[in-house]
Amino acid sequence: MRHLISMLLQNEAGALARVAGLFASRGYNIESLTVAATHDEAVSRLTLVVFGDDITVDQVVKQTAKLVDVIDVAEFTRKEHLERELSVVRVEGGGPALDDYLVRTGARLLRRENGQAIVEYTGGTDDVDGFVDGLRAIARLTDQARSGVAAIASQESRTGSAPALR
Amino acid sequence: MTGADIVVQVIADEGLDVLFGYSGGAILPVYDALFRYNQTHALDDGGDRLPLIVPANEQGACFMAAGYARASGRVGVALVTSGPGATNAVTPVRDSMADSIPLVVICGQVPTGAIGTDAFQEAPIGTIMGACAKHVFLVTDASTLEATLRTAFHIARSGRPGPVVVDIPKDVQNAPLVFHGERELPVRGYRARLHAVESATPDDDACRAFFAALAAAERPLIYAGGGIVSAEAADALRDFSRAFGVPVVTTLMGIGGFDTTDPLALGMLGMHGTAYANYAMDDCDFVFALGARFDDRVVGVPDKFAPKARTIAQIDIDPAEIGKVKAVHWHHVGSLDVSLRALTAHGRRIGFAPDRRAWHAHVAALKAAHPMNFCRDGDLIQPCAVIEAINRITEGHAIITTGVGQHQMWAAQYFDFRAPRRWLTSGSMGTMGFGLPAAIGAQFARRDLTVIDVDGDASIRMNIGELETVTTYGLPVKIVVLNNAGDGMVRQWQKLFFRGRFSASDKSLHKKDFVRAAQADGFEWARRLDDAAQLEATIADFLAFDGPAFLEVVIDPDAGVYPMVGPGASYAEMITGEWIPSRHVPVAQEAEPTGMF
Repeated sequence: MRHLISMLLQNEAGALARVAGLFASRGYNIESLTVAATHDEAVSRLTLVVFGDDITVDQVVKQTAKLVDVIDVAEFTRKEHLERELSVVRVEGGGPALDDYLVRTGARLLRRENGQAIVEYTGGTDDVDGFVDGLRAIARLTDQARSGVAAIASQESRTGSAPALR
Repeated sequence: MTGADIVVQVIADEGLDVLFGYSGGAILPVYDALFRYNQTHALDDGGDRLPLIVPANEQGACFMAAGYARASGRVGVALVTSGPGATNAVTPVRDSMADSIPLVVICGQVPTGAIGTDAFQEAPIGTIMGACAKHVFLVTDASTLEATLRTAFHIARSGRPGPVVVDIPKDVQNAPLVFHGERELPVRGYRARLHAVESATPDDDACRAFFAALAAAERPLIYAGGGIVSAEAADALRDFSRAFGVPVVTTLMGIGGFDTTDPLALGMLGMHGTAYANYAMDDCDFVFALGARFDDRVVGVPDKFAPKARTIAQIDIDPAEIGKVKAVHWHHVGSLDVSLRALTAHGRRIGFAPDRRAWHAHVAALKAAHPMNFCRDGDLIQPCAVIEAINRITEGHAIITTGVGQHQMWAAQYFDFRAPRRWLTSGSMGTMGFGLPAAIGAQFARRDLTVIDVDGDASIRMNIGELETVTTYGLPVKIVVLNNAGDGMVRQWQKLFFRGRFSASDKSLHKKDFVRAAQADGFEWARRLDDAAQLEATIADFLAFDGPAFLEVVIDPDAGVYPMVGPGASYAEMITGEWIPSRHVPVAQEAEPTGMF
């Protein structure tokens, strides 16, 4: 099943490589990974999506929690959380139907150039999938970039300040 | 002070009395700082306060540091240069990680400005070692050097110990800096987790649950791993075992964590464990795993391991080891020493004293019915006879190091170990060539003990250059090579699982004259033994020699390691060989290698 793992990491050279390397060395394909500094610039937040059975993902999370650079790690899969993914898509054609679609879905037109449009949509992963499918029905997709998931726990299941895991 | 002076000062402050390393361009400032430090801090006898031991190569240096760490329980230190120097250190770093050995490897690196330019002797050590070490630091900001070094020692020795690599660019070594004498890096996640495990003791509820399960058991068994040795928990283990009458089996790494001559000791379990240890594991109804990680060489097929155990309890300092291979019913994450003492105290307080006479009688009967044994007559020298002969003299007090293969397993099976840190072997990585450099490091750590490297002809070849290191430093290390003209363990597997196709494992046509090689490297005592009648006298002479001694013993090339639990087999299918009675009808050997091995 899909697992969403959130991690706070010391913002240091090599730290991201060690986390990604740990997943790679255990044969895990990372479905998506986002990373950026948090409000504390010495700390980065990583959000990872991996697919696998619960026991093996639990083991790789425990192994990750041993890395010296890792401040805290938590699995959001079964915790209440908010997750968002950004998609930027270049399309050709579409005409007025495209404008209607953008308004209806709450997407944004970023730019028109040479008969092409670059549009932006933000939502949950499934929403983004749905948006792109709908877009494909009315215009020709020529390029696409997705950010991967960024997630944050809701108040009750918040991770962050107290790095106590198991 | 320069960065290099700070490196040396931090090492000196850590209380080290010996370093191991090989020089090169990118580490030269540190070597120079060490020279100056030793000049200005000379001992009363004129000797170096921080002697630097120079091996044949960096793998040797790091295994010496690891041998020092394993024998002393302190952090071992190796100083190597950039590029090939550092990449030669990869194997011992990974070896130390796999066996949880505290090691600090300090690597020179090309200057900060040259990193990433494919400079002379540049290698991406952070990336290479990141996957092998407990942690890697690349010091790009000179002002953090002192704190980084001190933190490296802290990380290496704390929690589950392991190797830490500090990669220091040459310009950082040359930078003018102020020495503070105390700083460490925050590493806040690591410190928080460490504090949590170090302060954790099983609470009253946990203790009650543990003893309720133990009371319900009739046949409890302790399965002790290398964690007992790392955590200095051997005394706590002995107290617990005796207080509640629980017999003990150990892993390869746990050997010496429990006196092998104790009546409650059943020796090693697993693939080449004693038959009685493995049968006891098959028969027990309660497994208490202590600093043991259910390695595949122990467990084999997880579903068939300890098939009658109604309860599996586990204590480990590493949360990731809990339930990794086998689900456990009770566990505690914390220091083994503290946790075991807390449990023992609780048990004594509640007057826990179940009648274990039936189980003890069962275990004693297993030991009597299935003792370790081998062919005791014939003209060829049996390897186990060599080990028994050494053991009769050393009586479990010597430090034994090994290479990897059959000789390693025979040594694990036939030596006595009265105390921890006397048995130094490459357990998890299984690194051939470990024995000789590890013996050198161990002898520096324990000058008061006899150090014997029990090696194989193939294993010792891997680092045979270190023979000269033994004589250069006048170490009284004893080296015994059990020569069966090849990779014996590989041959054993080929015999059993590849229908006798001995692909590339036979070295009988090789021309190496080990005795002359040892003599060429300065061994005054170097002999070959091939006459079984001379065994006792030669061994006595070999061990009595006052200085480095080298003994090659030509052994029966067909001698196998038994018992053996084949890959993918359960303990019930253990092959005990010709000389150890089995309690099962031998299983026909038509096994094929499984994907796991």
